[in-house]
Amino acid sequence: MPATRLLHCGLLFCLAAGAAVAQTSAPPAPAAAPTWMQGQAAEHANSTHPFAPLLTGRPASELPLDKLKVPAGFKVEVWTDGVPEARSMALGDKGTVFVGNRNLSNVYAVRDVNGKREVKTILKGLQSPNGVAFKDGVLYVAERERITAYDDMENRLDNPPAPRVIIDGLPQQAGHFWKVLNVGPDGKLYFNIGSPQNITMPSYLQAAILRVDPKTGKLEDYAKGIRNSVGMDFDPVSKQLWFTSNARDWMGNEGPQDILSKVSYKGEHHGFPYCHQGDTLDPVYGKNRSCSEFTPPVLKLGAHVAPLGMRFYTGNTFPAGYKNTMFVAQHGSWNREVKQGYNVVHVTVDKNGHAKSEPFLEGFMTDPKADPPMWGRPVDLLVLADGSMLVSDDYNGVIYRISHSK
Amino acid sequence: MSVRHRAGRAAAALLCALAAALPGVAAGADAEAGRQKAQLCMACHGENGNSAQAAFPSLAAMPGQFIVSALYQFREGKRVNAIMSPMAANLTNADLNDLAAYFSAQKLRPPTATIAPERATQGRMLALKNNCTACHAATLTGQQHIPRLAGQQREYLAVQLSAFRAGTRAEMDGVMTSAAQGLSAEDIDLLADYLSTLNTP
Repeated sequence: MPATRLLHCGLLFCLAAGAAVAQTSAPPAPAAAPTWMQGQAAEHANSTHPFAPLLTGRPASELPLDKLKVPAGFKVEVWTDGVPEARSMALGDKGTVFVGNRNLSNVYAVRDVNGKREVKTILKGLQSPNGVAFKDGVLYVAERERITAYDDMENRLDNPPAPRVIIDGLPQQAGHFWKVLNVGPDGKLYFNIGSPQNITMPSYLQAAILRVDPKTGKLEDYAKGIRNSVGMDFDPVSKQLWFTSNARDWMGNEGPQDILSKVSYKGEHHGFPYCHQGDTLDPVYGKNRSCSEFTPPVLKLGAHVAPLGMRFYTGNTFPAGYKNTMFVAQHGSWNREVKQGYNVVHVTVDKNGHAKSEPFLEGFMTDPKADPPMWGRPVDLLVLADGSMLVSDDYNGVIYRISHSK
Repeated sequence: MSVRHRAGRAAAALLCALAAALPGVAAGADAEAGRQKAQLCMACHGENGNSAQAAFPSLAAMPGQFIVSALYQFREGKRVNAIMSPMAANLTNADLNDLAAYFSAQKLRPPTATIAPERATQGRMLALKNNCTACHAATLTGQQHIPRLAGQQREYLAVQLSAFRAGTRAEMDGVMTSAAQGLSAEDIDLLADYLSTLNTP
């Protein structure tokens, strides 16, 4: 076990998994379990496995698009195919859509040229460039261990500038290393560092939402106790940061549930690894703790639905009731015998702060008991200037567009 | 048309049908085109993807999505290998899918080497203990993006496991790098012995 891993490893975990570490100064025992199955109960072994994207993608013509359903008055269509493992999206001032991914090395740009989409590879040789954000002409990219800036990017798609490093040397970790990125109303870059394992005691930099000032490179932790947030956005009215987070695995098919929540003050703790979904103590880390110590989620989204991208709807062409409400893209289960998720849900909050969700885009899941259970997986959402909303699908390398006509 | 040609055509049609039914292989993939494109691959990976050389993996009966993922990673420089990187450099997406459709539909020949039954039992226990079956399937024949292990070349398995353990083997999600951290050199030997002699069609 490398020294850095030891530092990230909580006392309980070290006692449980690394007795040899405590006893001798000889080379320590290696980690007992891979990150994804660490904390797994015996009865769950050999029942499930993660899914991976089709790296070449698939042409839209091969997809069962007629299966997709949206509410009456809305229309869903393919905006573009041919964007390998399309995940996070960011919108340039001139309408360019920048697309990041988790497994590859490139960042892609998609432009509408005379009604047709043109996909261009703009950056190469990066490490898991999952997070993209755009502000005042600058494209920000969150890689595995660093965040960089590309000035005047939209005018230099064919001739990108050298990256300016905002921050480097973020924790090396085997799990949850992919980041999402969002520019706050304060101009700072907000991003996640996930828990390095399924369930463990994170370091002070992990299981958190952090922010870095792009002018100075100063890093701060913003919200803690968040296992892995892969989607966040600022409420256009209150300016508060809302986020999704994926709950731990191997505690059963029904829980703990994945969550949607918001940050009310800097340093706010949301429970991980002690308390899950606001009301369920962890069987190991929850001992001698109480869920009342932590901020509960605003909404429980379901067990193993894998909420990723979330956005406020800031456009003007969806019906009035949608203005400033939220959409959440759910990537779908692997760690559940009967799969769920694989959809986009619409979330509204009433004046008492109570949130509820309803299905918005469905039809990616073909059979919740099949392996694989789906033909596509929604990842991120992006509202375009014309009020339509894009949905990325990393399994197929496709981006869909949802629009509304009166 | 000769009988042989007709049989070849029928076989090609069957391969296409099989490819279309395989999850993770693009519907447009063409196994017959893949067979033609695969001639160069077979110099190392053996006839029909049945490798006869310890260092080169068999591709026969490998899940199609794994073949596409591996070739994609070589082409994009995520995985680097002196032989495979240049081989993959000029392949198109259609090439990857066609090659995958062809090799995934081939039969893997039963392994010729054997090990003592006690050692096979030990290997089985170690594979279960390390949860190999959770992703590589109960039969260890792989699924989707996860490769077949049963009947694979012994040296290839040992080299890959050692590379995962050393953190030098690129992969998608860190799962194998993490999984291999718990293996000793003896464990890797045992797993390679067990898996390479495991006969599951």
